[in-house]
Amino acid sequence: MRLCKQERGFLLLNVAIIGIGQTTYGEKKKQSIDEMVFEATKKALDDAGLQREEIESVVTAASDEIDGRAISNMLTAGSSGAYLKDEVKVSDGGIYGLILGYLRVASGVFENSLIVSWTKSSETSPDLVSKWAFEPLYTRVLGLNYISSVAIEASAYMGKADVKDEDAARVVLKNRGNALKNPLSHISHRPSREEIMSSRFVSYPIREIYIPPKSDGACALVIASRKRAKSLNRDCAWIRGIGWSVEEYYAGDRELFNLSSLRRSSQMAYKMAKVKNPLIEIDIAELSDVTPYHEMMIYEALGFCRDGEGKSLIRNKITELGGELPVNPSGGILSSNPIFASSLVRVAEAALQVTGRAGKRQVKNAGLALAHGFTGIFSQGSSVVILGS
Amino acid sequence: MKPRNIGIIGVGQTEYTTKRDDATLTEIAREATVLALEDGKIEIKDIDAVVFSLALDSLEGMESGEKWCAGAVGGYRKPFIRVHTGGTTGGSAVHAGFFHIASGLFDCILVVGAEKMGETPDAQNVLNRIFDPIYERTVAINAVNMCSFQAVRHMKKYGTSEYQMALVAVRSRKNALKNPYAHIRGEITVEDVLNSRMICYPIKLYDCCPRSTGGCAIVMASERFIRKLNKKNVAWIKGIAGCTNSYFIGDRMDGSGINDYADAEGLFLAAKGAYQMAEIKNPGKEIDFAEIYAPFTSTELAAVEALGFCERGESGIYNEKGIFNMDGRIPINPSGGVLTANPISVTALVRVAESTIQLMERAGERQVKRARTAVATGEGGSLQFYTVTVLSNRI
Repeated sequence: MRLCKQERGFLLLNVAIIGIGQTTYGEKKKQSIDEMVFEATKKALDDAGLQREEIESVVTAASDEIDGRAISNMLTAGSSGAYLKDEVKVSDGGIYGLILGYLRVASGVFENSLIVSWTKSSETSPDLVSKWAFEPLYTRVLGLNYISSVAIEASAYMGKADVKDEDAARVVLKNRGNALKNPLSHISHRPSREEIMSSRFVSYPIREIYIPPKSDGACALVIASRKRAKSLNRDCAWIRGIGWSVEEYYAGDRELFNLSSLRRSSQMAYKMAKVKNPLIEIDIAELSDVTPYHEMMIYEALGFCRDGEGKSLIRNKITELGGELPVNPSGGILSSNPIFASSLVRVAEAALQVTGRAGKRQVKNAGLALAHGFTGIFSQGSSVVILGS
Repeated sequence: MKPRNIGIIGVGQTEYTTKRDDATLTEIAREATVLALEDGKIEIKDIDAVVFSLALDSLEGMESGEKWCAGAVGGYRKPFIRVHTGGTTGGSAVHAGFFHIASGLFDCILVVGAEKMGETPDAQNVLNRIFDPIYERTVAINAVNMCSFQAVRHMKKYGTSEYQMALVAVRSRKNALKNPYAHIRGEITVEDVLNSRMICYPIKLYDCCPRSTGGCAIVMASERFIRKLNKKNVAWIKGIAGCTNSYFIGDRMDGSGINDYADAEGLFLAAKGAYQMAEIKNPGKEIDFAEIYAPFTSTELAAVEALGFCERGESGIYNEKGIFNMDGRIPINPSGGVLTANPISVTALVRVAESTIQLMERAGERQVKRARTAVATGEGGSLQFYTVTVLSNRI
């Protein structure tokens, strides 16, 4: 990735997260989509201390298919506060909404932007929707869905890195344990080791308990330019680095165990944030643990350890709360999964950590945090955001 | 703050047709990409990031079709993002590309998209699904009757006639004859339009756009990149803005006259923002031509008023006077516009692409004389989303 050198007169502007709003995450919430979006938006605006009228730009991120609507941001135009404002939707994970919001503010055209992402999983069957993400000619007929695609990746990784079922169980125990400290979490139950080992295989090597829940919920962030953020005179989470990348569509065209799109996006973000040694420099990470195997794969792709050593980070408790680099103190996607909003929740949680507002799940001295999101099937696309205090 | 100077250096369009049995969505997107890269005389390695313009997944029969296309359009191992704002998608994609460069992170961006609506048996059935499932969907509302409400309201409010609407169709068809990419060809008369089959009063068959399949791509670059390549023929983006209105159409019919459904208030506000950035004070005098997203003749009438080419309610008379004809003061839709090709995912992108071709003075038979400043628009949702892009061949 080639980053432009700063041009005279056009410095890369600093952008900060100044407001965070999350609903609780849960199953079959009684709120409608726009009510969830309103709740998250209002909380983020209140947190930033801004009125709706002061917001200059809105970016939304959601899935039409899961919402059961052909253009779902039509509905949420009002509840996201976008009425008569410049609003745009990315049909992708919430972290891509943050990326576009960042670009809009960094350009200098807007002083601030609200980003909101949501998913009401209970509105439809996300697994059924994921079948349609496979192209119709060669792969859809195989009957694959999202779960079988992550299982194939996990299987490839197990063979390559000699990872055991027990290691996956350790990740579940860690993340579900952390979730007990997160009042917003969908699942607040830390299973016993026996419970995990007796959970049935849905798609080998993925046990039922290794699959994230399907949650309803929304998450919103308010970001602002350096000038505006400074004028608030309070702690904000500064966006130090940002990176995103996509791989070839067909899974057969790439190695399934090394998450190559994540390697590229993290390189871009590390370069921008001037991170040389992620394990030492980064204090907390919120990762898209779409399965426990993926969490270990992500450690390697992000350079937290050498390839094949992801399992030793979890075995040596390095990524537990209190370890050298706590990962998913919020409980991760394994505990709450408002599918399209999940990656924005990662950013929100990372922002709470670097501003010291994460409550019981707070990591001590969290100066630099990393948030990560996946997009597409077979981890085709990834994005990384690095936040600093 | 004034952002970096950003220009368009290459444009690629496929021919627009009803159906393509010879190419998949990815292949159509690739065709447009290759044409745009050739046009800009650059290679895929020069592209820093890709913005994909893809509207309703359900029209393509695939969830997240942009992922399938990522490799074909050269997004492979690059930052790649998709925007989707319904009909406005192409305009939103251009704006997203603009912000990519304006942020200072990138120098050269490909904005590309494709539409394969020919996959869908009934596009209006899909478009019914943009409406609220509880209150609106059951009354069988779709894009045609949604726009006919606006037309009726415009007629009632300003005395606009079906004849004036027909003039728009006649002009568009005439312009399209000179556009090799246009989907609908063939000259028609006012009588033909007035006698065509009624679809939803007052919109008749020839007042309607077709449903098209095709792809479009543009290459955008920073001034620094353009100077390095020593490019002379550039369409500079002078101003951009978007505006989102309320979802429920009924909220814009309260009789107060504020944000009225008859007038494209969202477009008016978006244009105001874009003109401000472009430092345009009198659009009627300073804009030389416009490419307007108007899927129905009546939509165009409201749009030219919102863009400030005439006062509200005067667009019908302006059409009678021929002011928007190719030889008039402000030619509207020299390409033939959306009435002659509507590949939804890229329709608003085509407006920018066609404006670029005009500003580069390469539009052949459809070339507008003295094309220096243009405005290109996008419209989507329940006449809810609008994007406006002001372009000029002078920096």
